[in-house]
Amino acid sequence: MSRKIAGADYTVDELMVVALSRQFDNSTRAFNGAVSFIPVCAYLLARKTHAPELVWAASSIAIDADPPQLGESTLSDSIWDKAVMLSNSPFDFWAYAQGMRYNTFAFRGAQIDRFGNVNNTVIGSYDKPKVRLPGGGGMADLSCMIPNIFLWSTTHNPKIFVDKLDFRSGIGWGDGGRHREKLGLPGGPRLCVTNLCVMDFHPDSKAMRLKSLHPGVAVEDVQAATGFAVLLPDGDIPVTDAPSEEELRILRQEVDPTSMRLQEFQ
Amino acid sequence: MAGWRRVKMDTGKVKKILDIKEAAALVTDGGTVALGGLSMNSLPMAFVRELIRQEKKDLTVVAIVNGMAVDWLVAAGCVRRLITGLVSFEGLGLAPNFRRAAESGQIKVDEYSEYLLIARLRAAATNLPFIPTKAGLGTDILALHPETTRLESDAVTGELYVACTPLPVDVAIVHAHAADRFGNVRVDPKLLWMDNEISNAAAKTIVTVEEIIPHQDFVAEPHRTTYPGFVVDAVAEVPWGAYPTSCFPKYTHDNAFFAAYSDAARAPERFQAFWSERVAGPDTHASFMKANGGDDAVACILRRVV
Repeated sequence: MSRKIAGADYTVDELMVVALSRQFDNSTRAFNGAVSFIPVCAYLLARKTHAPELVWAASSIAIDADPPQLGESTLSDSIWDKAVMLSNSPFDFWAYAQGMRYNTFAFRGAQIDRFGNVNNTVIGSYDKPKVRLPGGGGMADLSCMIPNIFLWSTTHNPKIFVDKLDFRSGIGWGDGGRHREKLGLPGGPRLCVTNLCVMDFHPDSKAMRLKSLHPGVAVEDVQAATGFAVLLPDGDIPVTDAPSEEELRILRQEVDPTSMRLQEFQ
Repeated sequence: MAGWRRVKMDTGKVKKILDIKEAAALVTDGGTVALGGLSMNSLPMAFVRELIRQEKKDLTVVAIVNGMAVDWLVAAGCVRRLITGLVSFEGLGLAPNFRRAAESGQIKVDEYSEYLLIARLRAAATNLPFIPTKAGLGTDILALHPETTRLESDAVTGELYVACTPLPVDVAIVHAHAADRFGNVRVDPKLLWMDNEISNAAAKTIVTVEEIIPHQDFVAEPHRTTYPGFVVDAVAEVPWGAYPTSCFPKYTHDNAFFAAYSDAARAPERFQAFWSERVAGPDTHASFMKANGGDDAVACILRRVV
């Protein structure tokens, strides 16, 4: 369940979408994978508000789609309506990704570590897993190719935000510091938006750092929900900026009127 | 080979149309089979069901991004080894039989990523020793198979790359919209997923299609042809052949089937009943469709463009 924000007229899913949406601008060229309602809503919201030139390929296929509502799957034709092009994975998508024509990718994981690396492969050992997860899909590829990486998690807890991944399916800042650069990989994770807070990454160590707290959440709550020590910024930690009335109206009425994004909170 | 019919036509070309039982007989036990489609889109479900009915054994299955097709093959005990990037039912959760079999060791899972698999298939398709990429650098994927995804550096610049070695495939199986009797195929609209990559890498390609259309239609509009007959070994006409996954734009995936399947999988005896009634039991694809609601189910998945 998504959480109502006390004393406010919006919920935490809406706050997450808006926080992510404000990171995107007219230079953002994005696409999405499976179960990605929060970033899909954020791309559409950004395009319908402050970033009309933003490019979004629905399901990594349907370029500039403008669906009247979202369907049950973010990897299906239910969100392709009004696209200008149905692009092809081998010729179009991977060329645009490797050429950095696509520049923005959001992913999440069953486990996320302090450097924004993620695991979607196994819990436990690879050969004898306690839980066999779906697998990384294109995560290992795209996390190496795309310069602006965003992470999100609708369930900020110590099982997800772990000290050590059981398997690294996708790379964030790798081992931290200049590791990514030494591998010859562009950019890296910019932000991690959760149901409790927004975190960025320390410019030198590349470790996760608290950026803002959602209303009603304390630093101690975030620390207790995280399996590693979250860095704190200098000075006061701000409250995550509230969504505007216009953002809420567009999200609720035009982007996701049937609230499919709440599937991510079950 | 059993079921393989070569019928000389009056044009001198070989007729490629088989029925689905004959087509599935082209897959041999222990072989490497690559499945087309992506996640809930255009998986060759009717063909996979036929593999199950023919009780194929010890298959190595290449499925780049998959869900229900892999789960069926694993449930039926057809799979020894799975080469994959991802298997899931998306928002409906983990694919239950895949998960159980991977956790128990019933199947060996070789996880790659999407592009690493594309690169390996391209190396096979183009007779190259490897295809280089930056995909996978810094992840744990590479160490799972250091011989097929080799970490190397450029001899001149020192730049790191991953050398992806060929992944040969015995039989590629893809689902498409239309074919003629010579095996010319239309994927129309041309949504290829990664189907062209697997068919190019395969010794044999089998295509199931929604309909067989006249050869003259291909000649009249050659720009709509996706695969020429010479890369296709057999076509089988199976309307609704991707059900319960989608075949855009004719029909979308059947979310109700996925939900009912996932729900049944929570209890072995309920799953057994579901499996025999709604998956493996029906003899023909038409009876399979009927067991899953027939016209009513189809009416629900016909795509309504807004």
